[in-house]
Amino acid sequence: MIILSIDTSCDETSAAVTDKTKVISNIIWSQASQHADFGGVMPSLAQRLHKERIDWVVDRALSTAHCSLSTDIDAIAVTVGPGLAISLEVGISKAKELAQKYNDILPALKSGVSLQRRMTYQRSIHLRSKLRSVLECCYKPIIPVNHIEAHLLSPLASPSTDHRPPTTFPALGLVVSGGNTQLILIEKIGKYKILAQTVDDALGEALDKAARLLGLGYPGGAILEKIARVGNPDAYTLPSPLIDDKIKNRFSYSGLKTAMYRLIEKEKPLTKEKIYNLAASFQEVAFDHILNVLSYQINHQPLAISHFLLGGGVASNNLLRSKLRKLLRPYEITLHVPYTKKLCGDNAAMIGVCAYLKSRNAKNLNAKLKSIDREPRMKIA
Amino acid sequence: MYNSHMRIIKENPNIIKLAVDALKQGGLVIFPSETTYGIAADATNPMAIKKLNNYKKRPIGKPYSVAVSNIKMAEEYVSLNNTARNIYKEFLPGPVTVVSYGKHKLTKGVESETGTLGIRISSYALVCQIVKDLRVPITATSANASYMKRPYKISDILGNISDKQKGLVDLIIDAGELPHNEPSTVIDTTLDDPVALRQGEIKFTDKNEVLSRSEESTQNIAKELFQKYESYLGKRPIIFALTGEMGSGKTQFTKGLGKVLEIKEEVVSPTFNLVIEYGKLTHIDAWRLQKPEGLETLGFLKTIEDKNMVIAIEWADRVMSEIKKQREHALIIWVKIKYGKKENERLISWGTL
Repeated sequence: MIILSIDTSCDETSAAVTDKTKVISNIIWSQASQHADFGGVMPSLAQRLHKERIDWVVDRALSTAHCSLSTDIDAIAVTVGPGLAISLEVGISKAKELAQKYNDILPALKSGVSLQRRMTYQRSIHLRSKLRSVLECCYKPIIPVNHIEAHLLSPLASPSTDHRPPTTFPALGLVVSGGNTQLILIEKIGKYKILAQTVDDALGEALDKAARLLGLGYPGGAILEKIARVGNPDAYTLPSPLIDDKIKNRFSYSGLKTAMYRLIEKEKPLTKEKIYNLAASFQEVAFDHILNVLSYQINHQPLAISHFLLGGGVASNNLLRSKLRKLLRPYEITLHVPYTKKLCGDNAAMIGVCAYLKSRNAKNLNAKLKSIDREPRMKIA
Repeated sequence: MYNSHMRIIKENPNIIKLAVDALKQGGLVIFPSETTYGIAADATNPMAIKKLNNYKKRPIGKPYSVAVSNIKMAEEYVSLNNTARNIYKEFLPGPVTVVSYGKHKLTKGVESETGTLGIRISSYALVCQIVKDLRVPITATSANASYMKRPYKISDILGNISDKQKGLVDLIIDAGELPHNEPSTVIDTTLDDPVALRQGEIKFTDKNEVLSRSEESTQNIAKELFQKYESYLGKRPIIFALTGEMGSGKTQFTKGLGKVLEIKEEVVSPTFNLVIEYGKLTHIDAWRLQKPEGLETLGFLKTIEDKNMVIAIEWADRVMSEIKKQREHALIIWVKIKYGKKENERLISWGTL
């Protein structure tokens, strides 16, 4: 099953072609990485940029994959939420436009209609309405996808056909990005239970804000990781968030952020070495908080778990990966991460893979075009 | 057909002059750096930039970062704020690109659409010397065509481009295979510009101040403040315009509003989503908005049409001009949260406009 997928949920305009779980092309035009609007956004500008770029990105995804939309693509997948409403809108209307415009039967039917013109008026009306209903069935099916679910399942994407990591369900998943921090029980694909989520800042957001407190611009999560590698994580003591929670089913970064602010004020003026050590110390505590909640949840999990999926922008952080691997090893749980870091940030290939995994049950393919709409606050469970 | 002018020359001390001459004549030069092979064009020469666009095959509207030789040269092309100065001091020269507001002195298309410009100071001596001798910034984009593999050796480049692209290049400085370092890290400093200062200080007509000793107490202060003005609801929407440094408790304050409004969902930080709607409470974060007018694109005007709506706006100082316009239509309560002396203490003051 070959899917053209589109994602415009936030700053990236992205389109991809996937075959089952195999990624054939994955084109991302970032409004961020080219430093156009790095941390800052201008919602109306973001929408305009998506509109300007979507055609180029879709064409590029198809041409890189050597695919023709009308003959090779079986379905179109698109992110419907969560995300910025006016950005989501761009991807959804593009998906609808393509679904209606490109199908195998339309050209044939059109010529058919002109042949029928000689028929009696009565019969032609009857025929036209019949044709219309046939046409609607011929639209390329659109598969609406939840962006978070796509991040969650992104480790299942593969560079070659049917080379999917052997996962069994139930499994655990963690989505960590600028907008989300969710620990999820995956009972099976499509059925999820949230075990813990943030009550204030997302992990990625907390890292970005710490970088900003250190004077590293915003968002600086990526540079924080880079300089933390050289810093000493034990140089400073920062308080572990929610250490007193008996039932560990939430994350919080507001207290840690405050402690970081106070510590930086105390340490000013900052030297390069201090910045490195502060970055390392903050990252360490921020990640250990995730591990504390995770180990509680594993210990209290009645179901047998042997696989763990890690997705989202912060999933590209090597320290987080190695900490998770170490924690999971004694439980004999295998950590799965996206096969390339490109699949960690926002991208359309994960949308296509998620659409395939969900639509194997075929139910999802019958969504009516009209009923597909943006859901800025879409939930996964 | 190969361009007969394209020369591949091993790195040597005499190559600087060759490179500078080629750049002066509007040519493209492929050079080694501490990250990958880059491709240089004179960033002040429209013909050279046009040539580079053709080489990179990049879509229109993608900006280029540029290399300068030192901070003094950077200041000719961008306005540096304190954050930017600190980063220059600590991390440059090195594999970091610092984004600031540009002074629009370079060829159109080098700066981003919003007028920002990314600057690099290379720690690779050859690059620095070329820029120094040329006396204008050069583009510091990697030498691959868009979406092609990162170039660490010359064959990575030549193997992936067409003869037509090769024909656009005048000089290749070959330093063998470079260490496989990651591309430069981009740091945007433009959000740290003091927007609030440009808009003037807030003056309260009445002024009140209380001390909060914990997150819970910040939430309770929000509850009490809401109850004080609750009777206005139905006649006018209420806007809580929240200001205060990062980590001061703006989201905690909004959590308190959520509780008193009996919102069942967890009120979380809206920094990433910009706006989160919880029934009768709308939570907005203006921190990432580049201009005050951005508030409207989040549906602000439509939201305040609902006279029963409570709106909490974090970083309200960034959109003050837009909020002030609604003085007639909404009850606006400014709330300032400041760090107190002790760890968990906050000074919370408020006033109506």
